Amino acid sequence: MLDHILSILIFFPALAGILGFMIDKKSIRAYGIAVGFVEFALSLWLWFAFDSNVSGMQFMENLPLIPSFGINYILGVDGISLFIIILAAFFTMIGIASLTKTKNEKNMIITLLFLQMTMIGVFSALDAIVFYVFWELSLVPMLYIIGAWGGPLRIYASIKFFLYTFAGSLVMLVGMLFMAYFFYQATGTWSFAILDWYRLILPESFQLWLFVAFFFGFAIKVPMFPFHTWLPYAHGQAPTIGSVILAAILLKMGTYAFIRFSLPLFPDASVFFMVPIAVIAIIMIIYTAMVAYAQKDVKQVVAYSSVSHMGVIILGTFALNVEGISGSVFLMIGHGVVSGALFLLVGVIYDRRHTKLMSEFGGLAHVMPRYATIFGIMLMASVGMPLTINFVGEFLSLLGFYEQSHILTLLAGIAIIVGAIYMLSAYKKMFFGNITKDENRELKDVNKRELLALIPLSIITIWLGIYPKPILEPINNSVEAVVQLMHNKSTTVEAKERIPNVSGIVISKTSTREAH
Amino acid sequence: MEKYLYIALFAPLVSSLFSALFTATPKKQFVGIVASFLIFSAFVSSYILLGHIMDGGEPIHVEMMTWMATGNLYIPFGFVVDQISVTMMMVVTLVSTIVHIYSIGYMDHDKGFNRFFAWLSAFVFSMMILVMSDNYAGLFIGWEGVGLCSWGLIGFWFHKDIATWAANEAFIMNRIADLGMLIGLFLVYWNTGTLQYEGAFAAFAQLDTATLTWIGIFLFIGAMGKSAQFPLHTWLADAMEGPTPVSALIHAATMVTAGVYLVIRSNELYSLIPHVGLFIASLGAFVALFAASMALVNRDMKRIIAYSTLSQLGYMFAAAGLGAYWVALFHLMAHAFFKALLFLGAGNVMHAMHDELDPFKMGGLKKVMKWTWIMMTIASLALAGIFPFAGFFSKDTILEAAFAEHHMVIYGVLLFTAGLTAFYSFRLVALIFHGEERYKIFGIHPHEAYRFMLIAMSPLLILAMIAGVFQAPFFEMVEEILGAAEYHIHSHVTLWIMLVGTQIFVGLAILYAYKKYGTWSSVPDGSSKMENSFIYKLLYNQYYIPYAYEEYIVKPYNEISEILWTKVDQKIVDASVDGIAGFFYSAGENTRDMQSGNLSTMLKWMVAGIIILLSLAVVFGLAARYSGEIMAILSGLGV
Repeated sequence: MLDHILSILIFFPALAGILGFMIDKKSIRAYGIAVGFVEFALSLWLWFAFDSNVSGMQFMENLPLIPSFGINYILGVDGISLFIIILAAFFTMIGIASLTKTKNEKNMIITLLFLQMTMIGVFSALDAIVFYVFWELSLVPMLYIIGAWGGPLRIYASIKFFLYTFAGSLVMLVGMLFMAYFFYQATGTWSFAILDWYRLILPESFQLWLFVAFFFGFAIKVPMFPFHTWLPYAHGQAPTIGSVILAAILLKMGTYAFIRFSLPLFPDASVFFMVPIAVIAIIMIIYTAMVAYAQKDVKQVVAYSSVSHMGVIILGTFALNVEGISGSVFLMIGHGVVSGALFLLVGVIYDRRHTKLMSEFGGLAHVMPRYATIFGIMLMASVGMPLTINFVGEFLSLLGFYEQSHILTLLAGIAIIVGAIYMLSAYKKMFFGNITKDENRELKDVNKRELLALIPLSIITIWLGIYPKPILEPINNSVEAVVQLMHNKSTTVEAKERIPNVSGIVISKTSTREAH
Repeated sequence: MEKYLYIALFAPLVSSLFSALFTATPKKQFVGIVASFLIFSAFVSSYILLGHIMDGGEPIHVEMMTWMATGNLYIPFGFVVDQISVTMMMVVTLVSTIVHIYSIGYMDHDKGFNRFFAWLSAFVFSMMILVMSDNYAGLFIGWEGVGLCSWGLIGFWFHKDIATWAANEAFIMNRIADLGMLIGLFLVYWNTGTLQYEGAFAAFAQLDTATLTWIGIFLFIGAMGKSAQFPLHTWLADAMEGPTPVSALIHAATMVTAGVYLVIRSNELYSLIPHVGLFIASLGAFVALFAASMALVNRDMKRIIAYSTLSQLGYMFAAAGLGAYWVALFHLMAHAFFKALLFLGAGNVMHAMHDELDPFKMGGLKKVMKWTWIMMTIASLALAGIFPFAGFFSKDTILEAAFAEHHMVIYGVLLFTAGLTAFYSFRLVALIFHGEERYKIFGIHPHEAYRFMLIAMSPLLILAMIAGVFQAPFFEMVEEILGAAEYHIHSHVTLWIMLVGTQIFVGLAILYAYKKYGTWSSVPDGSSKMENSFIYKLLYNQYYIPYAYEEYIVKPYNEISEILWTKVDQKIVDASVDGIAGFFYSAGENTRDMQSGNLSTMLKWMVAGIIILLSLAVVFGLAARYSGEIMAILSGLGV
């Protein structure tokens, strides 16, 4: 069973979803929770069976699909994808468990199960075409969630989300076809296997073009400035569960793909585009943080804050050293947990008041102290307080990039200031002061169903902030392999200098550890 | 001994978590008692550790577990108890024990009694991490932790808009400085390969001066935020919106001295870059004078004490910048005692006066609050540096150090400030406790604080009086680690003239304050000549700096944010996306008539299409046939 665990993880929810059509409406929630739980347990089993000391791919599966074009069903996980898969399983589970009363609950739960299939598929695919199929399929359930359960502008928002990301992905697909063609030219055989592509050394000019093609697909997904405007609409209109999954997992597809494709395939181009991308990342950090500050709707604050944090992740990725990339992968997990929790929290108040405008609140800490406390914990995690999950990722990302550029890191570091500004002022508007609106006087504090999701997230937030090692270590090992591969593959002098030679570092690390 | 280290470190955490269990329940007296007891046990452990270090024992160094390890980076949760940290631990645990006990009385009628102790103990825990860590990253945990607790405690009365505003201001302003600190950490890491003090200090010696200078500057920027040095000072005065025990513990005795601690801890760095040290000393001297000048005219009791804290922090930085690290640390300790005492005394007065803060509305309180009067007077004497109280030994040594190092300007400024300090301290004491009982106009019936609060304060009173006797043993203890040198003024005559001269100068300032304010009888209403003078207005409005920040930083930030959202994000970025989509959409809209299904229209389009295709075919056909000629013509044109 362990040999096919990834396939099981991918298709079990989909199969369960199909069977779900036969389940009675009344018991669908219990069914959904059970499926989500089994899936999460399987993902934990995957982690348990995962060997942290191995840096390469594990649990690989290989099934020929179209052998003549080298398209195969190849799966595998390493330290970089493992935890995002677990996170996806976790969020689907608690997403279903904490689902508020919605119309057509059955459709919603089945859609979520299908969405889970596509998410896990994206993060475990090692064949570009399989990757692309899951990547595009993930749009469909999300389109449906926003379009069917969204706010007043839901049709506009969902179509914008779909077309925008779809357009970007098509450019990426062209890039993939070219990549396979170059591979064919170099070796004489067709292959879409990513691990095969890793072995191919392309001339710098080819790398630049392909990098740009992939970049469009990824950058819109992340979303990077100036391709981010679909996100506020999608979040603004999506139901809580949609926003949670979107922020926690779907956005990570873009940043994950940068590490899986762009960096190891095009090391020279990555170095070439490092500074422009860092500038975009800094714009994302500062600009969207300021835009977040200007928002009146608390959900939009969290939405824009996501973009701002994704900027830090991008920056860490393009630090191109072990510290930075490990930090960015860790921040993907951290941001997933924290932004997911924040969207759940916004959902809590929306369920009670049916508005998200901060001017409608004020003084909520008087009537909802537990809610205020959990929101406070997530707020502090969001601004990167040490001993919370986000700090580890943010610190490492910025630390890593500092090796590449002092001044750009100084600018990017403004993240910790502007982040505090919009978050604290939003918190002040919502929770502090006296209660001014009569509707808020009788609000109920968070109930058991909501705590079911929020308490585990709070525990993870603090636990991984204090003790990130169980996750950071496997990430680190896989990232070291990626960086080493990049170093070996790079051809330009600048790239050789910028991308460190990890094997040299490993020796010095053991010696410094012994010294302690 | 490790056992005591862990007790000292984790007892406050246990206390905080225990109190946090009861945050949602009504006030429970035992929460305060248990919390105080746990903090007291941390104090006892620190005391045992102090004994161990004083006896010449080895510094205790433990490594609990790994925190972050990736690439070349390795950060453990490591803690060290050496001469510096044990001094800080003593100060922190002693003052916090007293403040905890005091708060049981002070927060007696407060709804958030249990929550208060949760935050207060969490603060102590963060502060212990800050001072005990054996690496810069661990220090940063504590650094941010105290910032968080300070946020929670300044905004403790969260229904007050002004309090939560001040809390956010403090947090954000500290964050600005923390960015500097963070960059400092990055520089340390990439230049030395480690964030451990031991490894980093050893590697500093090999680095070039430029790098060291940058490290020194960025770390000091971090220190400027926590210790509220100019220009990041405005949050401290606003932080006085928090409950008074908080002001005593966080904004006088411990957290604000974290910046000084950072400089002292990094003494091996700053000794290598004396030019940065000189800058720190100059800024310190400037802040000492600058803050003292604002305290001269202020009409808010707590703000006056806050400015005095700011001023004394300036003294500490002046000493640390000049390389007199041990003097700075000693002044930090002595200052913690008498300033906490002063604040707690002010808390008694506030309670008695129903939260009135304007000393002009008090007067004559010594009759009803005898003990508070005695305590505040002695604390003020200590602050002014009168022999034989604590301030005399610590502050005069700073003056001596400046004199002995031949920095006459710094010496002059600090000496002058000492006079101002004495004046504003006794202006406050005179206005509160002497003169006519102006509070009667406002119908207030003041009363003395609970007896156990006064007893809780008494250790501070004793320490404010006798802390000077610790100077010699303290010097002996830190001599080795801080490379301490006693400052010898060469001629005894000079030394005596300096000492006596300073005492006379300060004494005259006190007398002048008593003379001017000791018999004050009215509440100023802003009409007197002095209140309308330019200097008074300038000082009273804090040199218009808060106003300038509001006008030139906060407001533009709001406006730019608004513009970025409504104009740039919606009108430019998003509108272009919609524009592209709209282009395709309208192209489809406009051309759909072609497919109307009307036969004659469609035939027309068919004819048009055939004509276009045919003409294209002709053009390309001709071009292909005459390609040679076309090339020749083009080359003739120089293409």
